[in-house]
Amino acid sequence: MKIVVLVKYVPEPTATWKFAPDLTLDRGAVEGRLSELDEYAVEQAARLQEAGTASEVVFLTVGPAKAVDGLRKALAIGGDSAVHVTDAAMHGSDALATSLVLAKALEKTGFDLVLTGMASTDAEMSVVPSMVADRLGINQATFAGALSVEGGTVSIKRDSEGAVLEVSTALPAIVSITDTNPEARYPAFKAIMASKKKPVTTYSLADLGVDASSVGLAAAAVKVTSVTPTPARTAGTIVPDEGEGGAQLAEFLSSRGFV
Amino acid sequence: MSEVLVLVENTPQGIRKSSLELLTAARRLGSPSAVLCGAADDAAVASLGEYGAATVYVVPGTDGYLSVPAAEAIVDIAGRTNPVAVLVTSGPIGKDVAARVAVRLGAGIVTDATDVRSEGGVVTTSQTVVSGQWVATAQVTSATAVVTVRPNAIAPEAAPATPAVQTVDVAFSAAATGAKITASNPKVSTGRPELTDAAVVVSGGRGVGSEEGFGVIERLADSLGGAVGATRAVTDLHWVSHDLQVGQTGKTVAPSLYVAAGISGAIQHRAGMQSSKTIVAVNKDPKAPIFQVADYGVIGDLHKVLPALIDEIGKRKG
Amino acid sequence: MQMVRFVLGLVMTVVCLGLAGRRLMFLYRLGRTGQPVEPGRTSDTGAAVRAELAEVAGQRKLLRWTVPGVAHFMVFWGFMVLLFTVVEAFGALVWPSFQIPVVGNWPWFGFVEDLFAIMCVLALAIFVVIRIKDAPKNLGRRSRFFGSHLGPAWFVLFMIFNVVWTLLAFRGASINAQEVGPSGKMRFLEGAFASQWFAKLFEPLGQHTNEILETVLLLLSLAVLLVFTVFVTYSKHLHIFLSIPNVAYARRPRALGGLLPVYSNGKKVDFEDPGDDDLMGVGKIEDFTWKGLLDFGTCTECGRCQSQCPAWNTGKPLSPKILMMTLRDHALAKAPYLLATKGEDGEPTTALTDADKAEAQRPLVGPEGDETASVDEHGARGVGAVPFDMLWSCTTCGACVEQCPVDIEHVDHIVDMRRHQVLMEAAFPEEAGVMLNNLEHAGDPWGRGASARMEWAAPLDFEVRQFGANGEETIPDDVEYLYWVGCAGALDDTAMRTARAVATLLHEAGVEFMVLGEAEACTGDPARRMGHEFLFQMLAMQNVETLNTAGAKRIVVTCAHCFNTLANEYPQVGGHYEVVHHTTLLARLVAEGKIAPVHRVDAATTYHDPCYLGRHNRIFTAPRELLAAIPGLRVTEMERTKEKSFCCGAGGARMWMDENLGTRINLNRTDEALGTKPDVVTAACPFCITMLSDGVSQRQLEGTAAETVQVADVAEILLRSVKPEDVPTPVS
Repeated sequence: MKIVVLVKYVPEPTATWKFAPDLTLDRGAVEGRLSELDEYAVEQAARLQEAGTASEVVFLTVGPAKAVDGLRKALAIGGDSAVHVTDAAMHGSDALATSLVLAKALEKTGFDLVLTGMASTDAEMSVVPSMVADRLGINQATFAGALSVEGGTVSIKRDSEGAVLEVSTALPAIVSITDTNPEARYPAFKAIMASKKKPVTTYSLADLGVDASSVGLAAAAVKVTSVTPTPARTAGTIVPDEGEGGAQLAEFLSSRGFV
Repeated sequence: MSEVLVLVENTPQGIRKSSLELLTAARRLGSPSAVLCGAADDAAVASLGEYGAATVYVVPGTDGYLSVPAAEAIVDIAGRTNPVAVLVTSGPIGKDVAARVAVRLGAGIVTDATDVRSEGGVVTTSQTVVSGQWVATAQVTSATAVVTVRPNAIAPEAAPATPAVQTVDVAFSAAATGAKITASNPKVSTGRPELTDAAVVVSGGRGVGSEEGFGVIERLADSLGGAVGATRAVTDLHWVSHDLQVGQTGKTVAPSLYVAAGISGAIQHRAGMQSSKTIVAVNKDPKAPIFQVADYGVIGDLHKVLPALIDEIGKRKG
Repeated sequence: MQMVRFVLGLVMTVVCLGLAGRRLMFLYRLGRTGQPVEPGRTSDTGAAVRAELAEVAGQRKLLRWTVPGVAHFMVFWGFMVLLFTVVEAFGALVWPSFQIPVVGNWPWFGFVEDLFAIMCVLALAIFVVIRIKDAPKNLGRRSRFFGSHLGPAWFVLFMIFNVVWTLLAFRGASINAQEVGPSGKMRFLEGAFASQWFAKLFEPLGQHTNEILETVLLLLSLAVLLVFTVFVTYSKHLHIFLSIPNVAYARRPRALGGLLPVYSNGKKVDFEDPGDDDLMGVGKIEDFTWKGLLDFGTCTECGRCQSQCPAWNTGKPLSPKILMMTLRDHALAKAPYLLATKGEDGEPTTALTDADKAEAQRPLVGPEGDETASVDEHGARGVGAVPFDMLWSCTTCGACVEQCPVDIEHVDHIVDMRRHQVLMEAAFPEEAGVMLNNLEHAGDPWGRGASARMEWAAPLDFEVRQFGANGEETIPDDVEYLYWVGCAGALDDTAMRTARAVATLLHEAGVEFMVLGEAEACTGDPARRMGHEFLFQMLAMQNVETLNTAGAKRIVVTCAHCFNTLANEYPQVGGHYEVVHHTTLLARLVAEGKIAPVHRVDAATTYHDPCYLGRHNRIFTAPRELLAAIPGLRVTEMERTKEKSFCCGAGGARMWMDENLGTRINLNRTDEALGTKPDVVTAACPFCITMLSDGVSQRQLEGTAAETVQVADVAEILLRSVKPEDVPTPVS
């Protein structure tokens, strides 16, 4: 079984993020990293390979030149090779364009199972897995809290209100993995060095047969008109308890919808 | 007026509040049509009507599947109605549906909107991005806009209408029925959620005072349906088990609500909970660093404040 | 008879020296299987000679413990002088009236020989008393001999006693049996008072019997001496030979302070482009350098290290002594494999027993979660030679290195083993992974990120100059010090108070300083002490580039760990600065009158020496000078102070690991501090302060400490005396 893991290279969450004049996230201005949420999928793939379930594990990303660092991190955790789709025309692409490119790349790499994180830690949309599934016409099992593969069937556990659902689907399929799965291992330096020797193939849009005009900022059907910093976290309301503290707190929780 | 398709959810307790919020938002964009998967009872239709649904499309045959049949139903209806927008509630199902619908319709998609409005006939949204650090506004330029809306972001307002009910029979594709729900295991209601999964975490620190005193933390967690956490000091004192430790060397949590009781808020603890969306602190010491990160803080004895809070929550729940 | 005794003596000597020589040759070959040492270690002959004079001849470290130190001094010098009597005995074997040329026949020479022999016996008596009083069966783990080989130790004492009395008895018989030699009567024996006692004892037996007795006793004394020599080569008592090279080739000035970079085959490993065969730390016993193997052989199991070790004293499975013994046992057990001739594939060409093969396969460090791992009475047991928890219990406080009389480098060996575990196996206490990830991604151990690094300065009523804030590309000339705030100072609420206190005091003193703000990142100390050299190198190179680009020359730092790294380790990556700890700088400013502690601080205090300030960097006086300069402050020292200071428990990246084994180190130290009845416990390192604050809070909760006891940095107390209005009530 061949697993392809979709990963994203995202800005460091602790860094101060900036937006470029075209209102896209200025990825050049901040350090990047492999999205923490994708690391869960990378770890799952590595485990499936170690268990002998997967015969081949490939990591796939779409992103700027530096995104290869994210692939290297994934390769330090496990897997055999990686594919990096990079093209200047991709700048400003929305989820539709990204899913289009990923689907084309997946057609090129071939796969039995596609794994990915439940969301990226930058765009936080969680829609790419379903989009890719739709474009490829394959089964999907998203937001998997746990995953098992047996024969040609993938089964997941998915948290829903009041119940944990078990969902099964036949391969080929795409599964997105939540952060309740095991955390990615800490790669040894040895593994980091070994990852540098694993092959990374780079594709341009032309290599995938994607028309550059169908992606990028201009093709996006959503136009961001403004991005402003959230008003600085206003100092919280701090009240002394004069007998009414519990009730005041209940009122606050109620106003936030917790009660 | 153009239709706005709204995916609504029916439960044994009635139509979900978040669905009514969507209907309210939909009215700003056009004529709301509810898409209801599963059986439509009178009560459901009535409450959809109360919030302005002009049409209720009832889609049978989606039971036992997660989200793809619903998406195909919306695509099917949209093919005939050319809606100006499709609104769904943010969440696993909503995200799945919105994603598929957007691809099929070639529609611009916005997720986790906190506001939806029409500006000059263009669907315009607001949403927080980058972990809530920035607010973006966006215009959807495609004919149909697909928007997932955060629950509790828009207050539902009634606008009574008498909906026309249409049953829509959709021929689902193989992909739509490819993933089956094989089991549904109800969560044990007495047990608390996993610390790292919980939407609400109530944590106690050294200020709780004793192992026995920790009971009040557990009672509050239960009344909020949350998990119990603790600081390293507390687990080191063996008041609670070690696996409840939140912090640098324990678990990292990011719940919607984090209640820190008797916790001073040393950086080692904050490292494990600083991403929580809403932080509430109760502490005797007004200078405790936890108040710097708290959205709401009560300076006082937690053994007085928390029991009062539990009572109050009980009263509000009825 | 003369012939018989000569032949017998010769046979004994040849056999025993042959046995000992064979053993020593085996040990030498075993030692040679180790890695080369780093360049420069063996080249400074002058320093080696000075070290031999101080440590071996002067017994410097032994004498820190007065009673056992003096006793050992007596045995050591007793044996040195006894060597003359041994020479005389061997001489007598060949030529009955042998005397050492020139001095040999002077009565005072005989007197000195006997005096030292008797001193030796006295010292043995002291050792016997110590060993009975401190026996593990009475004191359990509190005994420094717990885990040592007790039988052999008693046997050694017994044999030394036998060596002494047989030599003296032989000389006594000689007095009675002597013939007048070519140089006349053996006058030296006139001074040999102890030998005279034996002579008196034997005199009634008559000349003839004494002649026989002389031969018998000579052979007996030589036999005892030779058997003892053979025994020594097979025992922990090898230190009498090995301590000499071990001291000569020790790391200087001491195996504390900065750690050595990772060496492979004697060359520094380049982490940007490591060789395929480069060793990353120590993963097998033969990955230690020969000096490491020499350390294990030299350990004489005295347990001075064990008695000081914070891990051992709080019930954890680490004793530096037991670790050395464990590694020695493993090296010896693996010797058949190590010394076997290897084929081209690296596999032994000669057949090994199954037991030898098993030992060769045995991992050096026990795998994580090895249930069979334990430290039993005589060492460690488990799948690996060294149990996992033994390796990870170390705080790198250096108390063992400080104490070791034969200059064993325990901390370096522990870090080297951790390096392999982390770099090659990714095996370490899981919870520390959060810290490592945070260092890598956020540049600080708590994951706050660079953007939070100036928050500490916000409450100050003057502006803290931040490098680059006004577009400067190098540090302006008017800036005297770059203030390295450190992650704790910038991000930890308690340490922020110290950071602000130091900033305020420098401001008051008119010292121009600047901080790096967002450009500062963790120095890499916790990563390095965990063995994550790669991460350390990344952080160090990043910081050195920042500092060198900014043109930093003089740096003041509040964290003892940052101080150690900046001062002692950054030179390894091209960062050469004059680094000063805030206590040193403040003490200087007080002495120069630029800071005036005029307000009384009526409080009792005690000062905790942070390991990385004190033992590792020898800064003991500056913080004490500061406290002494504060009017009204009453300082009471703890018993374990200065070089013997007891760790707070945070070092060696233990700050970021759970402490689930034994009791808590910080409570042990807190209780000692509370024993001085302080109003405020002071220290000079943010991590010590965190640990001690936690300890005091816990004791307050338990009701055994007064609610009013505070923990604060020395600088904060100084600020109270300089500008009391600036000091907020500390949060307990």
